[in-house]
Amino acid sequence: MIYFKQPISSALSFIVTLLSIAGLFALLGGSFLFLVQIIIYAGAVVTLILFIIMFLNIKEENLPHEPYKAKWVLLMSLLVSPFALMLISTVNTINFAPLHLQNFGSIKAVGMTLFNQWIFPFEMISILLLIALIGVVILAKKEEGHD
Amino acid sequence: MIDVGSFFILGILLFSIGIVGMISRRNIFVMYMSVELMLNAINLILVALSHHYEDLNAQVMAIMIIAIAAAEASIFLALFVMLFKNARSLDANFFELLKQEKHHD
Repeated sequence: MIYFKQPISSALSFIVTLLSIAGLFALLGGSFLFLVQIIIYAGAVVTLILFIIMFLNIKEENLPHEPYKAKWVLLMSLLVSPFALMLISTVNTINFAPLHLQNFGSIKAVGMTLFNQWIFPFEMISILLLIALIGVVILAKKEEGHD
Repeated sequence: MIDVGSFFILGILLFSIGIVGMISRRNIFVMYMSVELMLNAINLILVALSHHYEDLNAQVMAIMIIAIAAAEASIFLALFVMLFKNARSLDANFFELLKQEKHHD
Protein backbone atom coordinates (compact mmCIF):
# COMPACT_ATOMS: atom_id res chain seq x y z
CA MET A 1 0.00 0.00 0.00
CA ILE A 2 2.75 2.48 0.82
CA TYR A 3 4.90 1.60 -2.20
CA PHE A 4 2.59 2.17 -5.18
CA LYS A 5 3.40 5.09 -7.44
CA GLN A 6 -0.20 5.80 -8.41
CA PRO A 7 -2.38 6.96 -5.47
CA ILE A 8 -5.38 5.08 -6.87
CA SER A 9 -3.63 1.70 -6.44
CA SER A 10 -2.82 2.71 -2.87
CA ALA A 11 -6.45 3.62 -2.23
CA LEU A 12 -7.76 0.32 -3.60
CA SER A 13 -5.36 -1.71 -1.46
CA PHE A 14 -6.32 0.50 1.50
CA ILE A 15 -9.94 -0.61 1.03
CA VAL A 16 -8.81 -4.25 1.20
CA THR A 17 -6.88 -3.52 4.42
CA LEU A 18 -9.87 -1.77 6.00
CA LEU A 19 -12.24 -4.61 5.16
CA SER A 20 -9.82 -7.14 6.68
CA ILE A 21 -9.60 -5.06 9.84
CA ALA A 22 -13.41 -4.95 9.92
CA GLY A 23 -13.44 -8.75 9.82
CA LEU A 24 -11.00 -8.85 12.73
CA PHE A 25 -13.32 -6.50 14.68
CA ALA A 26 -16.18 -8.94 14.12
CA LEU A 27 -13.96 -11.78 15.31
CA LEU A 28 -13.16 -9.85 18.51
CA GLY A 29 -16.81 -9.29 19.33
CA GLY A 30 -17.17 -5.70 18.17
CA SER A 31 -20.26 -6.06 16.02
CA PHE A 32 -21.09 -2.35 16.08
CA LEU A 33 -17.51 -1.41 15.20
CA PHE A 34 -17.61 -3.90 12.34
CA LEU A 35 -20.61 -2.09 10.85
CA VAL A 36 -19.15 1.36 11.51
CA GLN A 37 -15.83 0.38 9.96
CA ILE A 38 -17.48 -0.83 6.76
CA ILE A 39 -20.01 2.02 6.49
CA ILE A 40 -17.83 4.98 7.50
CA TYR A 41 -14.31 3.96 6.52
CA ALA A 42 -14.76 1.77 3.47
CA GLY A 43 -18.02 3.42 2.49
CA ALA A 44 -17.42 7.12 3.09
CA VAL A 45 -13.77 7.97 3.68
CA VAL A 46 -12.14 5.81 1.00
CA THR A 47 -14.90 6.57 -1.48
CA LEU A 48 -14.22 10.26 -0.85
CA ILE A 49 -10.50 9.65 -1.45
CA LEU A 50 -11.22 7.82 -4.72
CA PHE A 51 -13.64 10.56 -5.77
CA ILE A 52 -11.03 13.28 -5.13
CA ILE A 53 -8.33 11.29 -6.97
CA MET A 54 -10.57 10.94 -10.02
CA PHE A 55 -11.81 14.54 -9.71
CA LEU A 56 -8.28 15.94 -9.75
CA ASN A 57 -7.46 14.01 -12.97
CA ILE A 58 -3.87 13.28 -11.95
CA LYS A 59 -1.40 12.82 -14.78
CA GLU A 60 2.08 11.37 -14.68
CA GLU A 61 3.77 14.79 -14.46
CA ASN A 62 1.65 15.82 -11.46
CA LEU A 63 3.05 13.03 -9.31
CA PRO A 64 6.04 13.92 -7.15
CA HIS A 65 9.40 12.83 -8.43
CA GLU A 66 10.77 10.29 -5.95
CA PRO A 67 14.07 8.86 -7.22
CA TYR A 68 15.18 7.39 -3.88
CA LYS A 69 11.83 5.89 -2.84
CA ALA A 70 13.07 2.29 -2.47
CA LYS A 71 16.10 3.39 -0.46
CA TRP A 72 13.96 5.55 1.85
CA VAL A 73 11.44 2.78 2.47
CA LEU A 74 14.21 0.26 3.19
CA LEU A 75 16.07 2.65 5.50
CA MET A 76 12.96 3.59 7.45
CA SER A 77 11.95 -0.07 7.79
CA LEU A 78 15.38 -0.83 9.23
CA LEU A 79 14.99 2.11 11.62
CA VAL A 80 11.47 1.28 12.77
CA SER A 81 11.78 -2.53 12.99
CA PRO A 82 13.83 -2.62 16.28
CA PHE A 83 11.08 -0.71 18.08
CA ALA A 84 8.39 -2.96 16.62
CA LEU A 85 10.36 -6.07 17.61
CA MET A 86 10.82 -4.69 21.12
CA LEU A 87 7.08 -4.08 21.47
CA ILE A 88 6.27 -7.54 20.08
CA SER A 89 8.62 -9.24 22.53
CA THR A 90 7.02 -7.25 25.34
CA VAL A 91 3.57 -8.37 24.26
CA ASN A 92 4.76 -11.98 24.05
CA THR A 93 5.63 -11.98 27.76
CA ILE A 94 1.99 -11.37 28.70
CA ASN A 95 -0.24 -14.40 29.04
CA PHE A 96 -3.39 -13.74 27.08
CA ALA A 97 -6.45 -15.89 27.30
CA PRO A 98 -7.42 -17.63 24.06
CA LEU A 99 -10.26 -16.20 22.04
CA HIS A 100 -13.63 -16.88 23.60
CA LEU A 101 -16.63 -16.56 21.34
CA GLN A 102 -19.51 -15.87 23.64
CA ASN A 103 -22.21 -13.24 23.64
CA PHE A 104 -20.09 -10.14 24.20
CA GLY A 105 -20.16 -6.71 22.65
CA SER A 106 -23.75 -6.60 21.47
CA ILE A 107 -24.91 -3.36 19.91
CA LYS A 108 -27.28 -2.68 22.81
CA ALA A 109 -24.48 -2.90 25.38
CA VAL A 110 -22.26 -0.59 23.32
CA GLY A 111 -25.09 1.91 23.05
CA MET A 112 -25.72 1.81 26.80
CA THR A 113 -22.02 2.46 27.49
CA LEU A 114 -21.91 5.25 24.91
CA PHE A 115 -24.92 7.12 26.27
CA ASN A 116 -24.22 6.54 29.97
CA GLN A 117 -20.50 6.99 30.56
CA TRP A 118 -19.47 8.74 27.33
CA ILE A 119 -22.26 11.25 26.81
CA PHE A 120 -20.04 14.35 27.19
CA PRO A 121 -17.31 13.18 24.72
CA PHE A 122 -20.15 12.27 22.36
CA GLU A 123 -21.43 15.85 22.39
CA MET A 124 -17.88 17.14 21.98
CA ILE A 125 -17.50 14.94 18.88
CA SER A 126 -20.59 16.52 17.35
CA ILE A 127 -19.15 20.00 17.95
CA LEU A 128 -15.85 18.86 16.41
CA LEU A 129 -17.66 17.64 13.31
CA LEU A 130 -19.47 20.99 13.06
CA ILE A 131 -16.13 22.84 13.30
CA ALA A 132 -14.65 20.62 10.59
CA LEU A 133 -17.65 21.32 8.35
CA ILE A 134 -17.28 25.08 8.78
CA GLY A 135 -13.53 24.86 8.17
CA VAL A 136 -14.00 22.95 4.92
CA VAL A 137 -16.58 25.45 3.69
CA ILE A 138 -14.22 28.35 4.44
CA LEU A 139 -11.28 26.59 2.71
CA ALA A 140 -13.36 25.93 -0.40
CA LYS A 141 -14.76 29.46 -0.47
CA LYS A 142 -11.38 31.18 -0.20
CA GLU A 143 -9.99 29.43 -3.23
CA GLU A 144 -13.03 30.50 -5.26
CA GLY A 145 -12.43 34.10 -4.28
CA HIS A 146 -8.84 33.96 -5.57
CA ASP A 147 -9.77 32.80 -9.08
CA MET B 1 -4.46 -21.33 18.65
CA ILE B 2 -5.25 -17.69 18.16
CA ASP B 3 -5.12 -15.53 21.28
CA VAL B 4 -5.55 -11.82 21.85
CA GLY B 5 -1.76 -11.29 21.70
CA SER B 6 -1.66 -11.98 17.97
CA PHE B 7 -4.06 -9.08 17.41
CA PHE B 8 -1.63 -6.88 19.37
CA ILE B 9 1.23 -8.02 17.14
CA LEU B 10 -0.80 -7.27 14.00
CA GLY B 11 -1.63 -3.83 15.37
CA ILE B 12 2.03 -3.08 16.08
CA LEU B 13 3.04 -4.20 12.57
CA LEU B 14 0.33 -2.06 10.95
CA PHE B 15 1.41 0.95 13.01
CA SER B 16 5.04 0.45 11.94
CA ILE B 17 4.02 0.23 8.27
CA GLY B 18 2.09 3.47 8.75
CA ILE B 19 5.14 5.23 10.22
CA VAL B 20 7.36 4.01 7.37
CA GLY B 21 4.89 5.21 4.74
CA MET B 22 4.41 8.55 6.49
CA ILE B 23 8.12 9.33 6.62
CA SER B 24 9.48 7.88 3.41
CA ARG B 25 6.92 9.00 0.82
CA ARG B 26 6.30 12.43 -0.67
CA ASN B 27 2.99 11.76 -2.38
CA ILE B 28 0.51 13.49 -0.10
CA PHE B 29 -2.28 10.95 -0.70
CA VAL B 30 -0.06 8.08 0.42
CA MET B 31 0.99 10.07 3.50
CA TYR B 32 -2.67 10.66 4.40
CA MET B 33 -3.51 6.99 3.98
CA SER B 34 -0.57 6.06 6.22
CA VAL B 35 -2.02 8.26 8.97
CA GLU B 36 -5.36 6.50 8.58
CA LEU B 37 -3.59 3.14 8.73
CA MET B 38 -1.99 4.13 12.05
CA LEU B 39 -5.41 5.13 13.44
CA ASN B 40 -6.77 1.75 12.37
CA ALA B 41 -3.92 -0.07 14.09
CA ILE B 42 -4.76 1.78 17.32
CA ASN B 43 -8.42 0.85 16.88
CA LEU B 44 -7.51 -2.80 16.45
CA ILE B 45 -5.43 -2.75 19.66
CA LEU B 46 -8.26 -1.01 21.54
CA VAL B 47 -10.80 -3.61 20.45
CA ALA B 48 -8.40 -6.43 21.38
CA LEU B 49 -8.02 -4.85 24.84
CA SER B 50 -11.80 -4.58 25.14
CA HIS B 51 -12.07 -8.28 24.35
CA HIS B 52 -9.35 -9.14 26.84
CA TYR B 53 -10.83 -7.24 29.76
CA GLU B 54 -14.46 -7.73 28.67
CA ASP B 55 -14.99 -4.00 29.03
CA LEU B 56 -16.91 -2.02 26.44
CA ASN B 57 -15.32 1.38 27.18
CA ALA B 58 -12.45 0.65 24.78
CA GLN B 59 -14.90 -0.04 21.97
CA VAL B 60 -16.60 3.31 22.58
CA MET B 61 -13.16 4.95 22.44
CA ALA B 62 -12.60 3.29 19.06
CA ILE B 63 -15.91 4.74 17.84
CA MET B 64 -14.72 8.20 18.95
CA ILE B 65 -11.47 7.69 17.02
CA ILE B 66 -13.43 6.76 13.89
CA ALA B 67 -15.55 9.92 14.23
CA ILE B 68 -12.43 12.08 14.60
CA ALA B 69 -10.88 10.37 11.56
CA ALA B 70 -13.97 11.20 9.51
CA ALA B 71 -13.70 14.88 10.49
CA GLU B 72 -9.99 14.78 9.66
CA ALA B 73 -10.66 13.21 6.25
CA SER B 74 -12.89 16.08 5.14
CA ILE B 75 -10.31 18.75 6.07
CA PHE B 76 -7.45 16.77 4.51
CA LEU B 77 -9.28 16.35 1.22
CA ALA B 78 -10.20 20.05 1.06
CA LEU B 79 -6.50 20.82 1.60
CA PHE B 80 -5.55 18.40 -1.20
CA VAL B 81 -7.90 20.12 -3.64
CA MET B 82 -6.44 23.51 -2.69
CA LEU B 83 -2.88 22.22 -3.02
CA PHE B 84 -3.57 20.72 -6.42
CA LYS B 85 -5.23 23.89 -7.70
CA ASN B 86 -2.33 26.05 -6.53
CA ALA B 87 0.66 23.84 -7.35
CA ARG B 88 -0.62 21.33 -9.96
CA SER B 89 1.23 18.66 -8.01
CA LEU B 90 0.72 16.15 -5.22
CA ASP B 91 4.15 16.82 -3.79
CA ALA B 92 4.20 17.44 -0.03
CA ASN B 93 7.32 19.55 -0.51
CA PHE B 94 5.06 22.36 -1.78
CA PHE B 95 4.42 23.21 1.87
CA GLU B 96 8.11 24.10 2.14
CA LEU B 97 7.25 27.60 0.98
CA LEU B 98 6.43 28.46 4.57
CA LYS B 99 10.13 27.98 5.34
CA GLN B 100 12.06 31.09 6.32
CA GLU B 101 14.02 32.56 3.41
CA LYS B 102 17.72 33.21 3.70
CA HIS B 103 18.87 36.82 3.64
CA HIS B 104 21.03 37.78 0.69
CA ASP B 105 22.97 40.75 1.99
